[in-house]
Amino acid sequence: MTLDVAAIAEELQRLAFETATGECDGWNALEKAVRQLDEANLEERLRTAKTSWLLARATHSYRGAWPSPAVPNRYGVVATDGSLLNPDRHSPVRYYVINLGGVVLSYGEPSGARMGSHARLYASEDDLYLSDLSRRIPVSGAVLGFRRAVEELQHAVELVRSADPPVVVLQDGTLILWGLESQPDFVANWALGPFLDALKALREAQVPVAGFISYPGSSDVMNALRVSVCDYPPQGRTVNCDHCRARIFTEGHHPACDILPDVPDRVLFEHVMRLEPGARSNVFASGSTILDRYPEDDRIQFFYLHTGTEVARVEVPAWVARDRAILELVHAAIVDQCSRARGYPLALQEAHELAVIRAEERRAVEILVDRLLAEHGVVMRRSAKDRSKRGRYV
Amino acid sequence: MCDQSGAERVGEIIETSTVGFVAECDELHCLPPLGSLVRVRGAEGEVIYAVVTYGETGSIDPGRRVVRRGSADLRDQAIYQRNPELRHVLRSVFSAAAIAYRRGDRLSYLLPPLPPPLHFSVERVSLPEAQEVTDQPRYFAILAQYRGEIPADQLLAAHARYLYDVRQSDRDWLERAARELARIFKHDYDRLVPLLEALDPDLA
Repeated sequence: MTLDVAAIAEELQRLAFETATGECDGWNALEKAVRQLDEANLEERLRTAKTSWLLARATHSYRGAWPSPAVPNRYGVVATDGSLLNPDRHSPVRYYVINLGGVVLSYGEPSGARMGSHARLYASEDDLYLSDLSRRIPVSGAVLGFRRAVEELQHAVELVRSADPPVVVLQDGTLILWGLESQPDFVANWALGPFLDALKALREAQVPVAGFISYPGSSDVMNALRVSVCDYPPQGRTVNCDHCRARIFTEGHHPACDILPDVPDRVLFEHVMRLEPGARSNVFASGSTILDRYPEDDRIQFFYLHTGTEVARVEVPAWVARDRAILELVHAAIVDQCSRARGYPLALQEAHELAVIRAEERRAVEILVDRLLAEHGVVMRRSAKDRSKRGRYV
Repeated sequence: MCDQSGAERVGEIIETSTVGFVAECDELHCLPPLGSLVRVRGAEGEVIYAVVTYGETGSIDPGRRVVRRGSADLRDQAIYQRNPELRHVLRSVFSAAAIAYRRGDRLSYLLPPLPPPLHFSVERVSLPEAQEVTDQPRYFAILAQYRGEIPADQLLAAHARYLYDVRQSDRDWLERAARELARIFKHDYDRLVPLLEALDPDLA
């Protein structure tokens, strides 16, 4: 064992103390900010605010909650999840594998389940590299993650075709491919095109899709509250966070919004908005700029939902959020799914179990590659670093 | 819950050895009864006969524990109706001990020369075939030496009881079986008597 746990224990203790006490700082200010929130005024401020972080825009109101609707007697849920074998930089053979798990569960009379997984290996030049005229980007890391997200959604579209309505599609994680904002255009188009096609196919089939984010770290609504307590507008200035933050260093300025605690939205909705188990917040529009490239109907909006064990974030396309009956179906289905699997949607749990590639399976694929190459007279030469890690000695 | 009639196939071999195999049932809970006779067609055309020695139902993934799903208002079969995924995440498996094999017309009460191949089908044995294979209970000695999840005596008793029913209370066969048990356990009266009692209280 080379990690000296004792050496970091003291620091961890301090961190735990700060985490436990830190969330209480500014609690009263947050309660007051919510209570005194002037939504019309906030809307006006948001219209002109210059901030570098994401701001939630309420589609109805920032406050207010919707209790869980009755679970339909009959409904279906389709969930897909994916797992990766990443390209191995230390291996002479370059490939990656996407293993997709898919679940179709039907409730009511009769109930039923279809569950399965399928793996696909990608090794062609087109699969391994993206290129425009001047650049060649390997499909790995974050870029491979986009491909997985696309394939998960495409697989859900395939499964929906054989599911009886009403049916809800669930995805694990965000439907906002915000990571593409930092990618070159040709990479963004490569991922976004098929992703948006899949969203469109679901919309045309009138099948709602929802991205479920457990223990979300997002602060879009909290950021909007910060704008609401900003002292720039009373001084006749528009909200300008960059300007305000710069003054911390130049003038020792204390931003007015620092009275609010540094907590994510889930804390706001659990402890201040006090969502009851099963209830959801109103729907918010996201300020993520990648959404400008989504068609208006498929632009992702979100709400917070108390699953019974935590406040989760649920993302849906705008067309789902606009249709009261379909939104209620999504709400009820997720609450029901969470009640079946201790706070996390059962269908997503099972899709994950089908998709996950375990360590021994990863090793089995490596051994298979070694053996197949050996059959063709190629002795696998891994990198010296990799060999050093595999054959440890003293 | 489980319709045992109809299809011959009950499951598929997932572990195999010279002395027997473990099979996973095609349908959850559709286990062949303890002591019943099953068969496998081997890779070389031989038919291997085996006696079911153990059955269990649990999670497919050993890392996932089975948890309670029911309540006072939701129980038994209704739990499966409400949780349709259970049929995909649970499985029933059973073990069987080889007792004989048939090659051509010849039936040998010996362990098979080769274990049955993995993934081959395990089938129920039809009534006439079971009657033919078990007509002479000489293979009881193989079962008497069984070492596994349950005591050998329990296995023998369950097997004899199953055959007595299959053979429609054939008293002649019962006497042959009792004589064979008496021969095997002639030096172990304490084991013999409970076995005969299990078979038929009148025999003890």
